[in-house]
Amino acid sequence: MWSLSSAISCLLVVVGVGLATTLWLEGWWTWPAIALTVALAVANTLLVPQWRYLVHRWEATDTAVYTQRGWWSRERRIAPMSRVQTVDFTQGPLARLLGLATVTVTTASAAGPLQIDGLETDVALGLVDDLTRKADLVEGDAT
Amino acid sequence: MSDEAPDPAPAPVAPTPWLRLDPRMLLLQPLTELARFLPALIPLLLFGTASGFGPWAIVGVAAPLALGVARYLTTSYRIVEGRIELRRGVLQRRTTSARLERVRTVDMTATLGHRVLGVSKLVIGTGTGGAGDEDDLELDGLARDRAAELRTSLLERPGRAEGAGEAPRSGEEAPGSAAEPDVRSAPVVAARFSPRWLLYAPFTSAGFIAAAALIGFFAQAFPSAEIDLGVDNGDVPRLGVILVVLALVAVLIAATLLVIGGYLFLNWGFTLSRLSGSWQVRRGLTTTRETSLDVDRVAGVSVAEGAALRIAHGARLSAIVTGLGSGGSDSAILVPPAPGAVVRDAAAAVLGSAAPVAAELRPHGPAAVRRRWTRALTATLPVHLLVVAAILAFDATPFLLGISVASLAVAALLAHDRSRGLGHGWIAGYVVMRSGSLARRRTALGGGHVIGWTVRESWFQRRVGLVTLTATTAGGSGRTEVDDIPTSAAYRLAEEATPGLLGQFRSDQFRPELAGT
Repeated sequence: MWSLSSAISCLLVVVGVGLATTLWLEGWWTWPAIALTVALAVANTLLVPQWRYLVHRWEATDTAVYTQRGWWSRERRIAPMSRVQTVDFTQGPLARLLGLATVTVTTASAAGPLQIDGLETDVALGLVDDLTRKADLVEGDAT
Repeated sequence: MSDEAPDPAPAPVAPTPWLRLDPRMLLLQPLTELARFLPALIPLLLFGTASGFGPWAIVGVAAPLALGVARYLTTSYRIVEGRIELRRGVLQRRTTSARLERVRTVDMTATLGHRVLGVSKLVIGTGTGGAGDEDDLELDGLARDRAAELRTSLLERPGRAEGAGEAPRSGEEAPGSAAEPDVRSAPVVAARFSPRWLLYAPFTSAGFIAAAALIGFFAQAFPSAEIDLGVDNGDVPRLGVILVVLALVAVLIAATLLVIGGYLFLNWGFTLSRLSGSWQVRRGLTTTRETSLDVDRVAGVSVAEGAALRIAHGARLSAIVTGLGSGGSDSAILVPPAPGAVVRDAAAAVLGSAAPVAAELRPHGPAAVRRRWTRALTATLPVHLLVVAAILAFDATPFLLGISVASLAVAALLAHDRSRGLGHGWIAGYVVMRSGSLARRRTALGGGHVIGWTVRESWFQRRVGLVTLTATTAGGSGRTEVDDIPTSAAYRLAEEATPGLLGQFRSDQFRPELAGT
């Protein structure tokens, strides 16, 4: 999914730069610029998603949820189960095509939710159920 | 959300009637309404009198007045079965109802007009997290003692603690709630305004902004004075210099007066006191404002000392209130810029212990210090490049190198101060983090209010074993974070504040480091 979506966005960037340089910014540097963009795009499409995949991991125990994401800079988020407020299940068009889904766990904090990308659909659904049940068991209003 | 906790017994009023606002608002409301429509009215009146359409002018004045009266007639409220309900709206009726145990803050404001009539406006914050005023319950215009009474009854419900549904604390109980029973009647004052505080007003960012704005204004107004500086012969430049110096001094004085004036209006008569279950902040010269914060909802405090304020040994204090977003930060101010000792005393009173704001913090070690230096010095790189380019390409005077040197010196100062500022600790049940130089901030967050951790590391940080640790909470900006904390120290801090939370994950590659501490 990451490969695909970054391929698409990179393609757009390449086309954009190509058009811009050839149409109204002509000069000696036109072709080097395009070449550089293409090289970056290829790297971005082939390497970064792999890297992301290697970094990306998640885990849910009885008392807490844990996610790790990113590539160049990584971010790990931990939320105790007692503070989980909502559990979202989302599927974009691309994800649906590939049978994947994203689970988002929100806490009361404004600092942002925990996101688990690219789970297989049934794993994601199972996780949603599981989290909802566990979060339900804990008393309190999760603030 | 509504069916978990048992209702606390409501005030014993049988089938509760809807209550109106104070009749005195009949005087004030139409007038405020009129003032609000004034921009629209002025052309109407002018137009009306000029072309002889008298009746329109009368309608123009009467409509807002009628609207004011209608607004009064259509607003009513009641407290029933553990919830407060508010009915309002002239054309579009709205009924808002909120459970009493959800009440987080109560704001009592009175403008000059309100005070003349002896009424106040009560804003009840329930922390819906949504964008603002639509969901707040606003009772504009209750007789002052009625408002105070209502406020007390809102914040002092029996059984509030059960209803509040605070998740079970891990580790220590928040020290703040321990001293509760014996302060039922008399308010305990933690900080009180003294005119000496006015001296601290110019050292705030507001002071700088005012000064900068005035300087900008003068630069616009007297461009000639600036040019005179460049000319290098005769008496003209001296005159120019004198002018500029005079202008600067005048600007400084004006800015200072402006800021002091603003501070005076906002904070005159400031008191921070504890009245049974809540903290009360009262301030204001013409418009008085009284804010009450539910003690259980105060998750922590943050002491901000900007560079200038720190030089003057001042600080300011704000509270992190659960359920109160950063948008409502106004009501979270506990102490405006004031002497540092006062602020620390107040913080100690709020937290129940002086240690979180006074104790030494653990430093972040040499790697973090190095990183501060690298970052500050590389930030000056563009300056050097520009200077060199200017000298080489445009034959500028080599004295421009002075700018380079100066920027390096400033960067070095900043780096030094920033690395000194970094610190963290787990003190008396609070997660304490401190960072920053120009805007240094020391935040103490109750361990029980930490609702998650975020550990962020860039590639550079990972190379030297540092992370950015963020404790998330439900109040304020939702997070307190500290830069460049060594990985093992970060995990130690998290482990102390929320035991067992981090250690349990199989996939966490940094667990061995935790075992090592």
